Amino acid sequence: MRIRLLVPIAAVVLALLYLVPQLAPRPTDSQFDLEAFGRIPVSAEGRIKPLDTVARNTLMRFGGKQTIRDDGRKIPAIEWLADLLSHRTSPANPSTTVAASLPIFRIDHPDLLDLLGVTPEQKKNRFSFDELFAHRDAITRQAGLAFQVDAKKRGPYQRRIVGLYDTLSRYIALSRYDTPYAVPPLTANEQWRPLGEMLMDGSAGSDEAAASLTAIFNAYAAQNSGEFNDAVADYLRLVRADLPGATRKAGYETLFNRMTPFYHASALYVYAFLLSSFAFMLTSLSKPDWARALGRGAIAVLVLAFFIHTIGIISRIYLQGRPPVTNLYSSAVFIGWICVMLGFVIEKLFRLGIGTIAAAAIGFVTLVIAHNLSSGGDTMEMMQAVLDSNFWLSTHVVCITIGYSATFLAGFLGITYILLGVLTPVLKPDRAKALARMIYGVICFAALMSFVGTVLGGIWADQSWGRFWGWDPKENGAALIVIWLLIILHARWGEMVRERGVAVLAVAGNIVTSWSWFGTNMLGVGLHSYGFTDSAVFWMLTFATSQLAIMALGMLPIALWRSTGVRAINQRSPTPRVATTSA
Amino acid sequence: MTKWLKPIASLRFTVVLLSLSMVLVLAGTLAQVNHGVWTVVDDYFRSPLVYIKFQLFFPSTIQKIPGGILFPGGLTLGLLLMINLLAAHLVRFRFTWKRAGSLITHFGVIVLIIGEFVTGVAAKEGKMAIFEGGSSNFTEDNRSVELAIIDPSPTDHDRVTVIPGSKLAGARGALTDPRLPFGIRVEQWMPNSQILGPMQATPDQLARATDGLGTQMAATPAPQATGVDNKNDLPAAYVTLLDDSGPVGTYLATVWFTQPQTVTVGGKQYYLQLRFTRSYKPYTIHLIDFKHDKFVGTEMARNYSSLVRLEDPSRNVDRQVLIYMNHPLRYAGETFYQASFMEGDTGTVLQVVRNPGWMLPYVSCTLVTVGMLMHFGLRLTTFVRRQNR
Repeated sequence: MRIRLLVPIAAVVLALLYLVPQLAPRPTDSQFDLEAFGRIPVSAEGRIKPLDTVARNTLMRFGGKQTIRDDGRKIPAIEWLADLLSHRTSPANPSTTVAASLPIFRIDHPDLLDLLGVTPEQKKNRFSFDELFAHRDAITRQAGLAFQVDAKKRGPYQRRIVGLYDTLSRYIALSRYDTPYAVPPLTANEQWRPLGEMLMDGSAGSDEAAASLTAIFNAYAAQNSGEFNDAVADYLRLVRADLPGATRKAGYETLFNRMTPFYHASALYVYAFLLSSFAFMLTSLSKPDWARALGRGAIAVLVLAFFIHTIGIISRIYLQGRPPVTNLYSSAVFIGWICVMLGFVIEKLFRLGIGTIAAAAIGFVTLVIAHNLSSGGDTMEMMQAVLDSNFWLSTHVVCITIGYSATFLAGFLGITYILLGVLTPVLKPDRAKALARMIYGVICFAALMSFVGTVLGGIWADQSWGRFWGWDPKENGAALIVIWLLIILHARWGEMVRERGVAVLAVAGNIVTSWSWFGTNMLGVGLHSYGFTDSAVFWMLTFATSQLAIMALGMLPIALWRSTGVRAINQRSPTPRVATTSA
Repeated sequence: MTKWLKPIASLRFTVVLLSLSMVLVLAGTLAQVNHGVWTVVDDYFRSPLVYIKFQLFFPSTIQKIPGGILFPGGLTLGLLLMINLLAAHLVRFRFTWKRAGSLITHFGVIVLIIGEFVTGVAAKEGKMAIFEGGSSNFTEDNRSVELAIIDPSPTDHDRVTVIPGSKLAGARGALTDPRLPFGIRVEQWMPNSQILGPMQATPDQLARATDGLGTQMAATPAPQATGVDNKNDLPAAYVTLLDDSGPVGTYLATVWFTQPQTVTVGGKQYYLQLRFTRSYKPYTIHLIDFKHDKFVGTEMARNYSSLVRLEDPSRNVDRQVLIYMNHPLRYAGETFYQASFMEGDTGTVLQVVRNPGWMLPYVSCTLVTVGMLMHFGLRLTTFVRRQNR
């Protein structure tokens, strides 16, 4: 009896033991109040954000990481930005600055390494600005050649050299104060301005904010912590008085950056997945008490993970003032969130532990996908004018994304059906029946949301450019999902497929959905396409291949399935019943 | 009757048709990498049959995949799906509350298919470009062109004769018409063209025209725009004007030239212009102000808006309207959308659409949503009740 309570409590306590130290502010040995420095609001890429975000996004862009490792020391992004903006001289080498000698750029392409005179044996892929700048002539020449080719027709090398050139320009723009627009409008009718421009035309001295910013940088360059901390505090007070909203949001964003809710949620999803898988194994080994106790533990951890995931989504909504899905990154985060929610519903209805497993697995995978989509820089970028409509973003986009989520969930359940059925003996008839019901129910839900979402998209298009349906690739992608779901439903109603047929078709739904979600963007056609990377194409093909393999497994003759219990239901009855629409 | 209807009404037929639709939609998407969206829509989705090349399904790096397949187009599939759906409900029609949701859903789908059909047949799109402070009373359809011959001699109006571009494209020999003051022979027709300035064109290219702007600039054929470019074709033609005694001169007519050129035939002056097909309206729109806001420090558009004055003496209308993104103006069966702008933000481009079927998707969406909610909701509640028992 006691394990019913003890196991879940122990599971949650373990999770909290991991979580709490991560969320607490990290003590630093630095005397500089860099946390406060990071909260300074600036305007970059059209929105107001804290310097902390600028620092993290820039490092993500340059090297795919938010911290720098140098001689075994971990340097936070904001410290690097302080070094860069203050042009602090390197103590080791007075002819250069600290920032320029840190290895922040990651370069992997062999031809680029060759250009930089690095051989593969050296295993070097991180470079400092100084190291790259030494090759500026070669880089400029190569980039110049590549720029003459139309952007869409550039080869991998050309794309990368242009990328490297852009990266270096970005670095230089930062160090010259051209970006971000750091000087705030302290009176009405003013706009944000870049500090660099004001230093050039000499107006920086007479502007209170610009002078104050310069004082901060000077104090940091001189490594005078007392002066630096006072200057930052003064500056924050100054902007708070005139831009209270922006300052508050920038402060919250800094906190959000530090908390990394999606990272911690994904860690907890792994934990919940292990617990629930273990619980499921125990059920099959007929240890019901332990299985149930562990299952409850898994749900408890999942609730915790979902809670953190939710906080992350709500924070983004607050910071952006937008519905949850605004770009590819946020769609991945949202798909995971919806799948977890649907997983809870399934678990509530069936109590088999499968809903928990699916929720935890999809929650984790989608957050990993989101993380990999974030390397492009700011994940809260501004919207194109035509997309600037909270009403349609919150109806059409949310519906479509929920449709994606449900289709992926159905696909995951289909995979579960196939793998358990073919490889293990644990797919007992009642369990198989329940799984098949889940798949069916989720597909019905997916069909509803996808259809409504697609038509709402059409109505939005009618509202914004007078064409309900333009046969644009993204629209077609959405239509493919709807048609695919309708095929599954009608094939089932017509008894053309049985349990395992629905499972196999649901797995194919994963391919159709990933095509609509990512593949259509890769075509580079249409009004909906976002920018895209090569590695995404690779991952999509890999994913599609894996799904095809699972489908092939599912189509093995039913006599080869190790779960013998499901043979009867999936075999053709000698006289097929007359097809009816009411199933 | 029922016996005959049964195969047409079968779910198996539904699944086959839906599967074919998937292939068609996929092919129609992939085809847009190399062809314009409108070509694809006409060839794939609004045609009875389409020849799908196998090459489509391979990346462009693997070239020369031979063969293809003749495939039912969107028109055929839409029609068959509709027949299948209607037949199914005829054969199995039996009203019960359990089936009400399904009935409503399918009715909504029929409305949607009809809507797309009406759009395909009846929708008209045009663009209205207006400079700030200027006005316009016509739209241009940038998917087709016309050659306009303008006779300015009547004192109170211009006498305009137009020849549709399709006629120029297929013209053999001289085009003559009693309404035309002279004959026209098409020397070369270019569905899409590139314009070469005086320094870029070779003397031979400039010699192709004997008079007018074509002696300073030349046009060469260009590949037709694809869905990827998101641009439209800019046609051009070399035309020779003929009077009773023979050729008067060869001119370059192209939509690249935004102003008409003067031509003199038989001592009389005319204007000649190849322009996007115009349709004139009973109302006039004046552009008072065009705004194009950007996000601070970026080139990214934050908003476009056109403040216009709508004047229609035939309906006693004279009012100001602000047209901006996601906020079109609906007037006299037409809808005006903020579509684009002129270089340097000097004017606006409005998309003007007349689509008698525009309401149908709204109706369909409502029906399908209600229908599916009823259908699946009923199932879910039955299921949950059984589960709790």
